[in-house]
Amino acid sequence: MFYLSKIEHTLRLPPHLLRLPLNEAIKLELENVFLDKVIANLGLCISIYDIKEIEGGFVYPGEGASTHTVKFRLVVFRPFVGEIIAAKLKESDANGLRLSLGFFEDIYVPSHLLPSPSRSEPDPYGRYEVKWIWEFGDTKYVIDGLDEIKFRVLSVNYPSIPIEQAEGSKPFAPMVINGSIDYDGLGPVSWW
Amino acid sequence: MKILEANAGPLTNFEVFDFLRCKGASKDPTRVLVPVTPSEFKVYDYLVESAACNQTRNIINEFLEKSKKFKLAKAEILNIINIRPSSLVEVDSIIEQCDTRFQEEELQELVDLVIEVLPPLPNQPNAAEEVNEDVQGATERMDGEGIKGVNDEKADDEPMTELMG
Repeated sequence: MFYLSKIEHTLRLPPHLLRLPLNEAIKLELENVFLDKVIANLGLCISIYDIKEIEGGFVYPGEGASTHTVKFRLVVFRPFVGEIIAAKLKESDANGLRLSLGFFEDIYVPSHLLPSPSRSEPDPYGRYEVKWIWEFGDTKYVIDGLDEIKFRVLSVNYPSIPIEQAEGSKPFAPMVINGSIDYDGLGPVSWW
Repeated sequence: MKILEANAGPLTNFEVFDFLRCKGASKDPTRVLVPVTPSEFKVYDYLVESAACNQTRNIINEFLEKSKKFKLAKAEILNIINIRPSSLVEVDSIIEQCDTRFQEEELQELVDLVIEVLPPLPNQPNAAEEVNEDVQGATERMDGEGIKGVNDEKADDEPMTELMG
């Protein structure tokens, strides 16, 4: 789920951070730049793990700040294909489920990857658009969002930034995980 | 920005949890005082409710040592530590081609090992009750959670002092 990644980055250290020791100032600036952002094909940056090397510190002509080249390690969130993760239900509509980890919310389980035969019906409480029900023999198992849902990661995609976005469409997500719960042991934890 | 090494080593949920905790993240409501960003707190909030919340380095090392005989892939061991499967059906989904690689007795042995070595979630027995109670016991539960929170914090503090010492 989490990995360390080694990154080299050249950054401009804003003068308001000069009151701090260089290490801390650079760490703060790196946090500003990277944290809670997705780097394509690398994952979601969670935290600056450590700083390995700081080089440079030149003030270029016409600049009011010094420029450093830093080598550091990042904690990134990047699930591997086949991984089992526990998440919470965020949305449930005719297309399937949308799950959330709290810090990452673009996990989709399309309707054909729900355990079959599944059907949907309107949610009487109106918390979600529809409720998905798995009919196993005579027993009905409802995905009601009360407990955690385990899913298997099928793919992790990094869509490119759209040039134009249609009005009313979903906000752009830089990293999308597709999951499946169509397997023994997956789905809401209370099922098993 | 240049990516020098995309994969400089996988981390278990516990390691990330421990890292954030050492940075000062806790369940304490005074969150603005510690140098932990809101996004890091979201990760912490997820991990504090996962199986990672009461693991320790010793427990993980012990599990790694004892699970060697099953010849599992690294990713599978990582996943088992993160999820802590406590029944056969849960293990089945984590291990690839489970039925051809393992006999049922071996799997049961693995499940027993998980239950023995990795600590259970502190609120696992309550989870089922909470679902049943739903709205009715909302006020009760709030009180209960308050007490639980205090206890958790104490538990959190202990390994931290250990690490610092």
